[in-house]
Amino acid sequence: MAKKQLAMVIDLLKCTGCGACGVACKTENNTPDKTNGQTFNWADFITKVEGQFPNVKYSILPVLCNHCTDAPCVKACPVTPKAMYKHENGITMHHNERCIGCRQCQEACPYSAEDVDKEKAAYSVISFNHDDPHGFYRDTSELVKGGTASGAEVAKKAGNTPPHRTLYKHSDYAGVRRGDIVEKCIFCEHRVIHGEQPYCVAVCPSRARVFGDRTDKNSEVSQLLKKHKPLRMKNNKGVMLKDNEKGTQPNVYYIRSFKAAAPKA
Amino acid sequence: MEIRRRDFLRAGMAAGASIAINGLTLNAFANAKEAKIGTGGTEPGNWIPSTCQGCTQWCPIEIFVQEGRAVKVRGNQLSKVNNGYCCVRGHLILQQIYDPDRIKVPMKRTNPQKGRGVDPKFVPISWDEAMDLVADKIMELRKNNETHKYLLMRGRYSDHNTILYDNLTKMIGSPNNISHSALCAEVEKMGRFFTEGYWGYSDYDLDKMKYLIVWGCDPVSSNRNVPITTNKLSRLLEEGNVVVIDPRMNNTAAKAHEWLPIKPGEDGALAAAMAHVILTEGLWNKEFVGDFKDGKNRFKAGQTIDEAAFAEKHTHGLVRWWNVELMGRTPEWAAGVAGLSKDQIVRVAKGFANAAPRCAIWYGPTMMPRGTYAALSIHALNGLVGASDHEGGIVTGAGAPSSSYPKFDKYQDDVAKAGVKHKKIDQRGTLKFPNLASGRPGSGVSTNNVPNAVLTNDPYDIKMAIGYFNNFNFSGTESGRWDRAMAKIPFFVHIVPMVSEMTQFADIVLPAALHHSEEWAISRNKGNLYGHISIHQPVIKRIFDVRSAETEIVWLLAEKLKAKGFSNIYDWLHNEYKDPETGKNPTHAEEFALYATKIRSQKAWDPTQSKDYKGDRPEGWEDFRKKGVVNSPRFEFRKKWGTPEQGNFPTATKKFEFYSETLKKSLNEHAEKNKTTVDGVLEATNYEARGEKAFVPHYESPRRHGDRSQYPFDLIDMKSRLNREGRSANLTWYHAFKKCDPGDLSYEDVIHINPSDAKKLGIKEGDRVRVTSTIGSLDIGARLWEGVRPGSVAKCYGQGHWSYGRVGTKDPAKFEPRGANFNEIMPDDYDYLSGSTARNGGFTGVRIEKA
Repeated sequence: MAKKQLAMVIDLLKCTGCGACGVACKTENNTPDKTNGQTFNWADFITKVEGQFPNVKYSILPVLCNHCTDAPCVKACPVTPKAMYKHENGITMHHNERCIGCRQCQEACPYSAEDVDKEKAAYSVISFNHDDPHGFYRDTSELVKGGTASGAEVAKKAGNTPPHRTLYKHSDYAGVRRGDIVEKCIFCEHRVIHGEQPYCVAVCPSRARVFGDRTDKNSEVSQLLKKHKPLRMKNNKGVMLKDNEKGTQPNVYYIRSFKAAAPKA
Repeated sequence: MEIRRRDFLRAGMAAGASIAINGLTLNAFANAKEAKIGTGGTEPGNWIPSTCQGCTQWCPIEIFVQEGRAVKVRGNQLSKVNNGYCCVRGHLILQQIYDPDRIKVPMKRTNPQKGRGVDPKFVPISWDEAMDLVADKIMELRKNNETHKYLLMRGRYSDHNTILYDNLTKMIGSPNNISHSALCAEVEKMGRFFTEGYWGYSDYDLDKMKYLIVWGCDPVSSNRNVPITTNKLSRLLEEGNVVVIDPRMNNTAAKAHEWLPIKPGEDGALAAAMAHVILTEGLWNKEFVGDFKDGKNRFKAGQTIDEAAFAEKHTHGLVRWWNVELMGRTPEWAAGVAGLSKDQIVRVAKGFANAAPRCAIWYGPTMMPRGTYAALSIHALNGLVGASDHEGGIVTGAGAPSSSYPKFDKYQDDVAKAGVKHKKIDQRGTLKFPNLASGRPGSGVSTNNVPNAVLTNDPYDIKMAIGYFNNFNFSGTESGRWDRAMAKIPFFVHIVPMVSEMTQFADIVLPAALHHSEEWAISRNKGNLYGHISIHQPVIKRIFDVRSAETEIVWLLAEKLKAKGFSNIYDWLHNEYKDPETGKNPTHAEEFALYATKIRSQKAWDPTQSKDYKGDRPEGWEDFRKKGVVNSPRFEFRKKWGTPEQGNFPTATKKFEFYSETLKKSLNEHAEKNKTTVDGVLEATNYEARGEKAFVPHYESPRRHGDRSQYPFDLIDMKSRLNREGRSANLTWYHAFKKCDPGDLSYEDVIHINPSDAKKLGIKEGDRVRVTSTIGSLDIGARLWEGVRPGSVAKCYGQGHWSYGRVGTKDPAKFEPRGANFNEIMPDDYDYLSGSTARNGGFTGVRIEKA
């Protein structure tokens, strides 16, 4: 194990599946809209329905990069030094400049799909930029000529693309990734460096997400993992790892159940 | 094999690597070359407070601004109603600001023909020309003494609506300020008003609550108090009990301990049976309600009781309620009527009452025909357990300080004074429309009846209309009526940020500033036991030539009217809206908007005013502007209870009324005005009750459009957690995360059908189906979903726009909708006592076929 392993615990009892983390991540990381079977949702959701009316169990699970200890995306990355690599803090980091856009990471990751539509996948951790991103804000068409705006005009008047682009810097990744490379959740390292929470954690109205160092026994993450029996995702179909399965040793943990336990008699 | 990036790059990709977008180079390489690994951070910016009006909570928020652009949103860190968090809708604000289809300049219609799918052929014009044309029409109405034929329709609003919606309409000389209110949620208020005299939305003490029943709403998704409920629900899930009553498994239901998938429209039956159980089991709250004088419970099914045997404390009419309605409303009966299990009804009724008074029913809008009595029946349960106004229960909530707007009366001339005396266009107060808002007959609005009145010139024709932040052609049921009515109105001005269905009927389009980021305003609301007054301010520089509807446009109009010889409105604004800090008169539109905002909030920010106020105390205007919010002191419980001798509820009896003397008074007043009896009123307005039943919470069978043999399914109109008051359809993030609405799918618009029903109909997941009601058909994708009651189908409101931008509309040029707007096939009906539009309770019967 790395000397540090940043990890996330998601308390499903607290989570309402409201979508705030998913949208907020897009505002923080300026991820594009879905194109070419690429979702660009670094934070996303998978839903599950079990049982039959009226005994129905519905749950919605927030998903993101699992920052696996045994990360197949890192193994698959063919460049040297690796574009996809394990940072010493445990984050599965993506270095934009080194990336050659070969998409072998996307193929190797059990939580990713090369095309979510073709594979009928609920989500994909890794997305690939076929083109320069945010074509929506480069489109010059106007619905009412001279009367209503266009994506390009909004971006130009605002002064950036996307116009709501959050400006941040990071040594490894850009605030907006260029065409021909992959992108994924990086646990908002540009925030974490400064002691801030990843943005999905910071905005969660139910405080369902806890972020911290799993190797530190006193961290809230470690405490929660001790208190509750955690589950980890096996793939992007909502299947969880069994007790005897290690999978890729994901570092995103789910505790408790979306639905309340039966009340004490 | 070692591969380096530079070895891999092909010529085309190399070009791509350094591409500049709109002149701004993507910054990865620039950083990477100079920066040390593991360095970085957010660039400088400021969190600036404002207000979100994406639902009726009106949350204080903050917007992060970098280089003059809005880039992130969060709850105001000082807010006590959301504890610093916004819900998902708050984050959508950014796409609303930078919507590519925003109107950037005023426009005028060049095609005189009006109708759905008729291109208005809008052309851009100057603000000067636009306001000139609007002012001319007003002058014409004044000249002809028909100012009452001016109609103002309000959608989303702030406190400043007083200026445009109320005062300006009266200054022009019209009674017709019509709000959207009765399209969405007024029936809910009937439940509390006619039991405890409170007209408004409720607040809840979730921290001290032990048992929560969520009835016909989904407070972690929509309705109100979403961020705080999202945060506080898990404690109740862990330590208390959460029960959800709804024909579909909404988000709260999915998390709850119990779900009662009630048959649509049968809420009154369940509520009556729960009351029956609570009384027969002796579980009512004795401290609040009182007890039999000898302490022996005489509530036995089917047996009337002598009213004199019971000594009530803070309530009125318990035994009469029992005798008139409840004695036969057994759980067995309700189980049959409402399609639930008797055991579950009894268990929930007992569990709820056992937690009394730290329990509450959080009920939804009950917007269905005869809904008033369902709302009354539900809220009466809150009274029975003494949860009303009690710690851990349902409360009125706290207010927030505000100052009055300057008066306009002395500037109102004779033409205007005569004009306002005419009847209102929505027919309120006529026999069919009692509209008993706050108990006053004819005082509430019947928004959705306006097109009927306009089309029949009853009480008169409308010659000019202004609408702002509304889209009734989409949000009103049987919306084809709105299309015909708006086509009939000769001159319509729409003040909106983007072109919608209603805008297609406009003669003049005025581009509106957005309330959360581009204008000055004030909003007040409550939640989490606190009240707040929250600022709206221009957190960014406007990127287009847009103006604030409620203030700046009023000023521009006043200037134009003055130039045309009618200076009263200008004089009123110029003379009365002085800067409270400097005493200066406003000299232009923006200054007027700022001064109006300072005036409205003066009590909140001026340290010299209301010195003994115990809420937040900013040091002055500048401090208030920086903080953005003033929180009230925490709500105090049991102020309304008073003593058994002297109650403090603002009802006719000063008590919580199970037998509503307050409703009796209102109904009698309405009957007298219309020269009939209360029974005559109830007959004319399609209620079943006659005699004493009219004055107690009671069961009314669901009124349904469509015979079951032809239209076997009950249609449920559900709400999305992503609908920013219905203004999200052109936002790509809305579509990306649509799956967060339980049962819905991203990038699609679907109808939820229970798989057992689908099987019988031969319908598979993803099939196109045709849904037909008594008034029309729509095609939509089928979603097989166990979370909807068999026999019911559910469809989310929000999509199906034929004019709402490049994302919201499938083909904007051809007016081809994306998805289906079920308002088009929901018939025009009402809960007449409130004037509210019917949209709940499965009142629309539908047939489903494979398309």
